[in-house]
Amino acid sequence: MKRLNRDAITALLLLVLCGVLFRTTFDIREVPFSEMGSDVWPRFILIALSILSVIYLFRSVTKPPPVTQAFSWARWFKAYQNALICFAMFLVFLLLLPYLGMLVAGILFVFITQSIIGGYAPKQLLFHATVSVLAVGGMWSIFTFALRVVLPVGDLFR
Amino acid sequence: MIENLINAFDAVFALNNLMLMAIGVLAGLVAGSIPGFTITMAVVLALPFTFGMSPIEGLSTMLGVYVGGLTGGMFASILIGVPGTPSAIATTFDGFPMARKGRPGLALGLGLWASFFGGLISAVVLVFLAPTLAAIGLEFGPWDYFMLVCFALTIAASLSEGALIKGLIAGVFGLLVASVGEDHINGAARFTFGFESLGAGFAFLPVLIGLFAFSQLLNDMSDTESAKKPMIAGHHSAVKMEHRKSIALIFLNWLTLLRSSFIGLFIGLLPAAGSSISNILAYDQTKKASKTPEDFGQGTPPGVIASESSNNATAGGALIMMMALGIPGDAVTAVMLGALTIHNIAPSPTFISTQPVLAYGIMVAYFLANFMTLIMTSGALRVFLLVTRIPLYILGVVILLYCAIGVFTLNNTTFDIWTLLVFGIIGLAMVKNGFPLTPMVLGVVLGPLAELNLSRSLSTSDDLTLFFMRPWALFFIVMALFSVFFPLYQSATKAGKRWAQFYGVGFMVCAAVPMMMMEGSFRTGLGVFLLVLAAWLTINKLRRPQLQNP
Repeated sequence: MKRLNRDAITALLLLVLCGVLFRTTFDIREVPFSEMGSDVWPRFILIALSILSVIYLFRSVTKPPPVTQAFSWARWFKAYQNALICFAMFLVFLLLLPYLGMLVAGILFVFITQSIIGGYAPKQLLFHATVSVLAVGGMWSIFTFALRVVLPVGDLFR
Repeated sequence: MIENLINAFDAVFALNNLMLMAIGVLAGLVAGSIPGFTITMAVVLALPFTFGMSPIEGLSTMLGVYVGGLTGGMFASILIGVPGTPSAIATTFDGFPMARKGRPGLALGLGLWASFFGGLISAVVLVFLAPTLAAIGLEFGPWDYFMLVCFALTIAASLSEGALIKGLIAGVFGLLVASVGEDHINGAARFTFGFESLGAGFAFLPVLIGLFAFSQLLNDMSDTESAKKPMIAGHHSAVKMEHRKSIALIFLNWLTLLRSSFIGLFIGLLPAAGSSISNILAYDQTKKASKTPEDFGQGTPPGVIASESSNNATAGGALIMMMALGIPGDAVTAVMLGALTIHNIAPSPTFISTQPVLAYGIMVAYFLANFMTLIMTSGALRVFLLVTRIPLYILGVVILLYCAIGVFTLNNTTFDIWTLLVFGIIGLAMVKNGFPLTPMVLGVVLGPLAELNLSRSLSTSDDLTLFFMRPWALFFIVMALFSVFFPLYQSATKAGKRWAQFYGVGFMVCAAVPMMMMEGSFRTGLGVFLLVLAAWLTINKLRRPQLQNP
């Protein structure tokens, strides 16, 4: 297990993905009289990807990348803290979008995410609120009134 | 050609179009100047605004952002020593020392005028070379096209600094992503796992924005402390550019300008190789050719001229490839290719003949964008100084939401925003694990083209040897093989291995074979010339004493 570095794990995950997807290519509908079946191209890609993943796995095991520090979840979380906050908030934004619509959900997403990352002292909260209303409201207005795009309104406001 | 050019001038110089281009140039100048924001990201973010525009308006706006971004990258490079974009890395080497010596106006002036002249040179070549290359492209059969796509993917991977296998995996993974959904030939669903939304496959734009903008933003914001600080610390006042002195210096260094512009053009012609490579290569070549190489890095004008002229010239080369063959010359032209398909226009060798006004319009708009950049740079410099006082997290979070609004407008479906999130996560994971993104985007763009041509080849003939025996197909195989082994050659050269000296010769011999198989006396003659040259170089190298490994 000592030799199972990050590259090796990535290569193994890719190989598992190739295996699963290769299996599903047998479920692709056969189209009669077609010159090249719909399953040929995906299989061609998956075989190429598998070969490359095997080479990648072999290289990662024979020439492992230098380990500077032992892996720690705490350090990992700290390094990706902002990214994780953004992903989580974006996910919440997407889940709220059908109910609150683009304008309200968007303002809330920008305001809350900025406040979590940047801090929530009263002055900062005011600044974040101003930025979120002006930036999202401005962009929403451009798309709605100038470009005539119908953005999601939200079930709560119908 | 003249009639098409006149019609294109009419379309590009319409008041509406001029205004859109000006906004694009300003946006590009500012976006390019912000460290961490790439030109690709700026063009990708501009794309949703172009959906409601005509193709010529949309492409003109994006060209404005592209050319503006290439020039804007120099602001941060020269004033604070941090490259605004990867295409301005080499500008930092001499631009920043020059500014520190008290000549920021000269450094900015040199950068601006070198960018302008580099852009003009490549625009002239674009007008003449694109139709010629498109005429050659008409000779391509499906076998040749399939091999051209393979070559594009291998060269994109081989240019991924020290990560050939990861680059190839990224490229093939892009092909896999493009194969999801109903196939374009038979209409059978693939990898949909029962999800109806996946039936149409992943839309190109959310994938692209997710990979380039979303993941890039989160990567930049990773550092909690620096994300909270203004993007550029300290107070910087607006600088007056020294235009006359700069122009005079550029004319004095005309050979540097020409050499670097042509290096930029050549790099642009290579599929997926962009200005992030050309500026460093041009700088390196200028330093090698200089009589005073010790001045480089101390604030010498040729250093700034080389970097800035080459990065702007790359755009012309990339546009040539996109318009003539439908193969993106860099990541930005990959986005433009996507923009054209949104307007139901598929660039191919027939693009210039079937859409002459649009094709020549792109050329005219590229010309014009260079002039607009020249005029608007001073104003943009002030905006740059204002924008960079904002902390990164403020701007980053707002742009994340813009990304969501932008992709929604493509098909009016929230599924595209989910796609954006998924590919944002994939993109960030790839970047953090050392996988390059450009080959993946190329795979997504070229996947359908590769499958279509493979299918056409197999339905035209059962003879698989055509993939290897047709001159152009063989030519692209040679290019693909040599590009795959290029990183090996680079490390062998550094290690002083003897065989590395014969890599170029080997390439010439291998490339000469398909050339001699082609029709027409010029190409056959070129093939023979390459063979003779290879023989002469081999004899010379064999006569030289063997290099000692240090």
